[in-house]
Amino acid sequence: MTTNGEVLIKVENLHKAFGGFHALNGISEEIRKGEVVVIVGPSGSGKSTFLRSLNLLEPPTQGKIYFEGTDITDKKVDIDKHRQKMGMVFQHFNLFPHKTILENITLAPMKLLNKTKEEAESQAMELLKLVGLEEKASAYPAQLSGGQKQRIAIIRSLAMDPDVMLFDEPTSALDPEMVGEVLELMKKLARDGMTMVVVTHEMGFAKEVGSRVLFIDEGLVKEQASPSEFFSNPKDARLKEFLSKVL
Amino acid sequence: MSFKERFIFNFIEDKQWHYITDGLKVTLLVTFCAVIIGVVLGFLLAVVRATYDKTKRMKILNFICQVYITIIRGTPVVVQLLIIFYVIFSSVNIDKTIVAILAFGMNSSAYVAEIFRSGIMSIDNGQFEAGRSLGFNYRQTMLYIIMPQAFKNVLPALGNEFIVLLKETSVAGYIALQDLTKGGDIIRSRTFDAFMPLMAVALIYLVMVMIFTKLVSMLERRLRNSDH
Repeated sequence: MTTNGEVLIKVENLHKAFGGFHALNGISEEIRKGEVVVIVGPSGSGKSTFLRSLNLLEPPTQGKIYFEGTDITDKKVDIDKHRQKMGMVFQHFNLFPHKTILENITLAPMKLLNKTKEEAESQAMELLKLVGLEEKASAYPAQLSGGQKQRIAIIRSLAMDPDVMLFDEPTSALDPEMVGEVLELMKKLARDGMTMVVVTHEMGFAKEVGSRVLFIDEGLVKEQASPSEFFSNPKDARLKEFLSKVL
Repeated sequence: MSFKERFIFNFIEDKQWHYITDGLKVTLLVTFCAVIIGVVLGFLLAVVRATYDKTKRMKILNFICQVYITIIRGTPVVVQLLIIFYVIFSSVNIDKTIVAILAFGMNSSAYVAEIFRSGIMSIDNGQFEAGRSLGFNYRQTMLYIIMPQAFKNVLPALGNEFIVLLKETSVAGYIALQDLTKGGDIIRSRTFDAFMPLMAVALIYLVMVMIFTKLVSMLERRLRNSDH
């Protein structure tokens, strides 16, 4: 895993307040091409808010975010264009229940990338083969298990050919026996060189494929290190306490 | 008089059934056009209201819509009908059918607006976020992702609103428009037999509502194919 690629996302002094509550208190961070950055932290620490700020689902109250060199917090920037290059996977999958699996995957490529139906569908079938769900193409999301839904949600994002994938606790809503199949897919993506930012409680995933682990608490990055260093030699007192509880 | 004789006396003699059929045509025309106005106008109102609810944009437009909805829902439809006919169009010679279509259409739009808005707000915000994160803009997300689901959810309420509208047009007689109800009432005043014409009118409304209910439930079933 290379960590010396070009900077893909650069965050400068990011603040986010919800009314009087400060979720983020000035985070500065760089995410490089090919990195798999795993973000951990206690609940309410601001880790999800940080992730959701990266594609402006949560517009920051202060600070700047550069994506591929463009300041996307600039109001003049067409954020929709940039979001096409930032795939996002949610805790609750958020598949479109009124559309078939195939339509879920082909909708954005057809409407936003002007792909023909044939192009979009053949690409979708390739992706479905990748996750072994090609027989579900004409099913509706309600007919799928949680693990299957999340794998579809991942390839729905991949269909837009993104430069980075953001994962917001992708396995937290899954039954335990379905976590594995989703993590396997994410590991495969990581090995294929996809740049990933992952908020998760799966420490095993962080150890195995993470290039860097961030510990966020009280809206700040309290510690960051390579996975081996992070887990074997934590320095921050709060992180030590956190790891003793989750490991 | 036997039932048959009363029937002939009320409807066949002097071809009085024309009052019923002509009235029915007016009722159907007014309802149909009012539904279209109600849906189109109600949809636009709902989009403004929901956009404000979701994004806090369109503040002034939202305020205007809110005032409109409050006034329309806060006053009786008969009064609205009379105001449009005797106040707004007092100095203009205008077809009463058009006045009725406008009055009932505008009235319905306020209710349709709130039905659509509740439908839009009932869709989980995650759907909205999923659409935006794929790169769809606000309008595209609404159009491709939120609206189709919202429409399915509000279909029963919408069907109910149209049933109410169909029956509400029976007050069109207040501006002397000869709709179905008025037609029946004219027969009553000519034959001095209340039972026959009014029962016939009631039966026709009932049959129309039953047919319409059937159509809505058929549409519901078709749209439900994704909820297995």
